[in-house]
Amino acid sequence: MIGFLRCAVFGLGALAVLFWLVRIYARSLRREALEKHWARESAAGVDLGPCDAYVEAGMQDYEHGLMRRLVWLVFILPIVIFAVVVFVMNYR
Amino acid sequence: MRYVKWAFWTVIVLVVGGFLHYTLPQHDIVRVVGTYQERQDLTDWTRIFWSTPDDQSGTLTNRDVQFIQAIRANGKPMVYRNEDTGWRWPPYFKFDTATLQTQADDLRSTAEAPKWAVVTHYGWRNQFLSIFPNAVGIRPVAGPDVRIIPWVNIVILGGLLVLILLIRAMWRQFRERTIEPLIDEAADKWDELGDRAEAMDGKARGFWARLVGRGRK
Repeated sequence: MIGFLRCAVFGLGALAVLFWLVRIYARSLRREALEKHWARESAAGVDLGPCDAYVEAGMQDYEHGLMRRLVWLVFILPIVIFAVVVFVMNYR
Repeated sequence: MRYVKWAFWTVIVLVVGGFLHYTLPQHDIVRVVGTYQERQDLTDWTRIFWSTPDDQSGTLTNRDVQFIQAIRANGKPMVYRNEDTGWRWPPYFKFDTATLQTQADDLRSTAEAPKWAVVTHYGWRNQFLSIFPNAVGIRPVAGPDVRIIPWVNIVILGGLLVLILLIRAMWRQFRERTIEPLIDEAADKWDELGDRAEAMDGKARGFWARLVGRGRK
């Protein structure tokens, strides 16, 4: 039982680090895309308001969107794989 | 310097490659000829090649280990150990050692009437170190030359590649969006500081010149 707990603690710890890194990365990608979009539209003569406000509004949408929630797959996929491996190894 | 670089990368490739070769599952087509159980001393450094199926086994100096004797399709003998991996490394989460031993016994056959089976295992056989690959699964197959596609290895190595590329992409993004702006800012600050220092220097010289009464008038 201690073995399982140790496995769970280390595994979840590693996943938490990866999750945190991927979340920052995904957010950074979104922000960069918004900045680039603003620059492109401005160059084409479309008025989207000030860059900072446009990017902040876009980030607000992102924080409540589906893409941000998909980052949780970093936790879900390995745990599902773990369960499948335990099942296949011992019950098949 | 070039040789040092080459040596460094050779060592890295050998260590990572060796680690993967030891840990990833491999398949052998074999004919099981017997099983046995033998007490193993586990006190020298080759302990790392044996499992720690549960917490108390970590402190034992010896314990019984089950083995599966087999003849491979190419006629060479191979002996597998059959141990639980438990919740430890490598992550096979194997707890069905007794079941596997029973299945292996059931598949036992002779050279005259062979029953072929695929043994999934990880690890290495080395006669000098007395180490054995750990069998993690066994299933009967039609004949000695069935084709086995290593799907698990394909998925794991593919996943590893994706992970490495992801970390590389994350690092690049971090460098582009966080470190480089900081360096630019620092460089700007440095230039500004240099300008100010020059201005101060000029002022100080002027002051000194006025004090001594030489220089510009």
